[in-house]
Amino acid sequence: MENDLSPVLDALPGLVWTALPDGNVDHVSRRWCEYTGLDAGQLVGAGWRRAVHPEDLPGLLERWRSILIAGAESAMEARLRRRDGEYHWFTIRVRPLVDGPQKIVKWIGLNIDIEDRGRLGRASESLYRSISDTIPAMVFFMTPTGELESVNQHVLDYVGTTLEDLKGWRTGSLVHPDDLPSVRVAWDRSIATGEPYDVEQRMRRADGVYRWFHVRGMPRRDARGQIVRWYMIESDIDDRRRAESLLLCEKQLLEMAAAGSSMSDILVALCRLVETTSEGCYCSVVLVDPTGTRLEHGAAPSLPATFINSIIGRPVNVDSGPCAMAAHLNEQVIAADLMLETRWAAHAWCPMAMAHGLQACWSTPITSTMGKVVGAFAIYYDKPRTPTREQQDLIAQFSHVASIAIERALSDTALKQSEARKAAILDAALDCIITMDHEGRVIEFNPAAERTFGYPRGEIVGRELADAIIPPALRKKHRQGMARYLRTGETRLIGKRVEMTAVRADGSEFPVELAISRIPLEGPPSFTCYLRDITERRRSEEALQRSGAFLTEAQHLSKTGSFSWCVATGEIIWSEQVYRIFEFDQAIPVTLELIGSRVHPDDISLMKDMIARVSAEAEDFEYEHRLLMPDQSVKYLHLVAHATRNRRGQLEYIGAVQDVTKRRVSEEALEDVRSELARVSRIASLGALTASIAHEVNQPLSGILTNASTCLRMLAADPPNVDGARETARRTIRDGNRASDVIVRLRALFGKRRFSMERVHLNEATQEVIALLLNELKRDRINIEMDFDDDLPTVMGDRVQLQQVILNLVRNASDAMGGIDNRPKRLIVKTERDTDESVRLTVKDEGVGFAPHDLHRIFDAFFTTKEAGMGIGLWVSRSIIENHHGRLWAQPNDTHGASVSFSIPLGLASAENHDLSVNWGPATRDQVMRSL
Amino acid sequence: MTSRLLVSIVDDDESVRESLPDLLREFGFAAEAFSSAEEFLASDHIDLTSCLILDMAMPGMSGPDLQRELRLRRQDVPIVFITGHGDETVRPRAMAEGAVECLLKPFSDASLRDAIDLALRVGRMPRSTIECGKVR
Repeated sequence: MENDLSPVLDALPGLVWTALPDGNVDHVSRRWCEYTGLDAGQLVGAGWRRAVHPEDLPGLLERWRSILIAGAESAMEARLRRRDGEYHWFTIRVRPLVDGPQKIVKWIGLNIDIEDRGRLGRASESLYRSISDTIPAMVFFMTPTGELESVNQHVLDYVGTTLEDLKGWRTGSLVHPDDLPSVRVAWDRSIATGEPYDVEQRMRRADGVYRWFHVRGMPRRDARGQIVRWYMIESDIDDRRRAESLLLCEKQLLEMAAAGSSMSDILVALCRLVETTSEGCYCSVVLVDPTGTRLEHGAAPSLPATFINSIIGRPVNVDSGPCAMAAHLNEQVIAADLMLETRWAAHAWCPMAMAHGLQACWSTPITSTMGKVVGAFAIYYDKPRTPTREQQDLIAQFSHVASIAIERALSDTALKQSEARKAAILDAALDCIITMDHEGRVIEFNPAAERTFGYPRGEIVGRELADAIIPPALRKKHRQGMARYLRTGETRLIGKRVEMTAVRADGSEFPVELAISRIPLEGPPSFTCYLRDITERRRSEEALQRSGAFLTEAQHLSKTGSFSWCVATGEIIWSEQVYRIFEFDQAIPVTLELIGSRVHPDDISLMKDMIARVSAEAEDFEYEHRLLMPDQSVKYLHLVAHATRNRRGQLEYIGAVQDVTKRRVSEEALEDVRSELARVSRIASLGALTASIAHEVNQPLSGILTNASTCLRMLAADPPNVDGARETARRTIRDGNRASDVIVRLRALFGKRRFSMERVHLNEATQEVIALLLNELKRDRINIEMDFDDDLPTVMGDRVQLQQVILNLVRNASDAMGGIDNRPKRLIVKTERDTDESVRLTVKDEGVGFAPHDLHRIFDAFFTTKEAGMGIGLWVSRSIIENHHGRLWAQPNDTHGASVSFSIPLGLASAENHDLSVNWGPATRDQVMRSL
Repeated sequence: MTSRLLVSIVDDDESVRESLPDLLREFGFAAEAFSSAEEFLASDHIDLTSCLILDMAMPGMSGPDLQRELRLRRQDVPIVFITGHGDETVRPRAMAEGAVECLLKPFSDASLRDAIDLALRVGRMPRSTIECGKVR
């Protein structure tokens, strides 16, 4: 073949060469040798390179290699050295010589000197084509009327169709449908005006993908300025556009984050951006919860809720799903075809996803700047799919944005929470909280401070604190202290709690407690002051001190001490006065044993019983006991205690103990006086009753004497009347007994005796009294009527004392009717049960009665309406009734006379066991004391 | 026994009414006891009574009341008062009212006998006679 071709090649009027399929030159024409001045042996193989301009050689070799690979006709350009050393620009056209299908047997090259033709200027059409193919861009040649004339090889490679197909671009799908209208308008205008065309538009690639191109069209004019052709150069800017778009998206998202949009909104926007940028995909973001163990919802605007819900809450591990796995491993997880996927079977993730129409899932971990996994970013497709490199870039970009958004949102949330907490603390604080800068100017002034000082926050912020709240007299000192601190760091205030005087807006001064702390921040120091108005505290402290002093004094004066006794711990605390009462030194710890050592031996068992009872069960108690002092004197103590629970829930008694010795002694003296009075009164009554008593006793005595005389006479008769004598003797005995009964009753009524409690049936007691008085009443022709309540309950009391009262009242009533002779002398004794749980006895007469102005005097000790009485009666009666917790009163009747009544509460009836909680009077207490 | 003189007793005390008639019968009198003045006045024994032994204090009509009533009826029955409410003032007052005697309970059988004897001696006589008899 060489032999065949050589003469032909040499005959061609150009610099021609051939090369083997591997690119090694095997033949050069004679003209080639003549041009270079080199012989053929020097130019074959790789020797031709020495004729190439060193600057152009690398590009040329690169180009040559790619042409060899492409295996198609092509062209190259380079400067080649002439034999005189001058370089000329050449176009080197190469074409494969094909033998059979796809079999290249040789390359034929033609070097065309374009130097002397002025480069492009005089290039032929085909040359232009050749050149245009070398331009790394798509080149369209258009007619002056805008019709497509031709394109370079890149265009055909890109669109994958023929030139003929391209000519119908105005209606075809070459230009993206969205861009086509504007492209046509712009092109038509350029044709019409001759202005350059400059548009960014999407062009369809052979695989159907549209990519962005920057299309520039320039008209070529002839010498007369007529447009002869349009050259259109289209450069692929898709990567740039995407980068720009991503940058824009990222900017938008970051702006959202900066503007305080919620993390959820930002993530939703991010998902939408991904979905628009990468068509046909669904996007979601899941978050890892703060514990790092579970997935939380982030955003998934286009995925069904059922799908999202089945992912949320899944554990972060390799088994529960791609996102969980990606988050767990901190690695991207690609599931290109869920049909073929075997992972996550334990959680049946794939069937679940496929049930939602998803076929592919690419999940990428989202990591914080600290490298911690905060979530996962997933892209789903409804067809099996593997990410392209571009998509991977996209994913990386968006994961990064998501991590910024999440991190920002988390720190924002944390900051907001911290701010909100701080604000809430400031607002709700009871203390005044004031922040000031290093110059002492107010930065913050909380509501408590507003209330306390009377300045609205807006008015004081920025002012110097010292001028506002420190009294004028102290300002200089404050400034000096502040300056000293700033200069030397020496402080008397910071970190301490001091009390000082502050001043309000209205100029009034008040005490405050103040603590200042330095805020631990960079820069010049600032301070937080905590102030509390302690006016109230001062006042209550003073009040407390005062009341403490009062209490001590009061305890001293009233001889009343207080104590507490914690049963569980046995701890007993005495007030000063209790020590004084017990006559113990205050240094001695109080114990029950210590108390026992002072208690009167006769009262020890009572005290032990009491302690045993109240230790077992919380129960208020009150009792009296005696102390036997070292000097053998006796003190009477009255003790009242209230059961309570201390802070630890233990039973504790708080009580008071009063030295009632003096009262007891005077009460006893008073009672003696009262008893004596009662006795005197009785004796006075006795005098008045003498006649009655005499009659009462003389009656049977008379019978005795008469009967005895009769008896003697009957026995002295002849024959003696024995039967008669026996009868008279019998009557003598009977009358003797009768006299004896009278004496017994009199003794009971008039003997000097102590109080004795028993159940008293008032009806019976009254009947006995009336029986005693019956003769007297009969003599005075008093009609006595007894109106007794048959169901009258008994009361507790001293039977004899009560009978003395009744006797007194009946005799008074009888006396009051002494001068009456114009009407019946009716005397009514009535017993009844009162509504207020007491029994009442009323003695009603129809005598002279009382003048209304005497009503309040009738109980005076020596008041009397009677000429012969001592008048002691009603006064003593009243004191007896009061000892029974009852009352005695008098009131005038509607017509004649007066009614005198007493009532005694039934309450005492339940007190027969001397319940110590009952507040007893002197008489009953006496009773209790004796039973100790 | 019809020759026996009747001595009537008015006393609300039962033991007196029981014991006194027996003693009077031992003295040899007929005796009749009444529990109240009203009962005596209602009886037909007033005219037959040679001597009235009368209690002073009684419910309803008292001894002196009965004395006044009898005087109003011109029944000058000699009266011997007996009383358990004895004091120094009772006797002179009763005597001034025309009683033969006033005995304070308890009294002896001898003093009773003396009083009745005196009453019987005085009999139903004008007060002046009684006065004379007394003087004697």
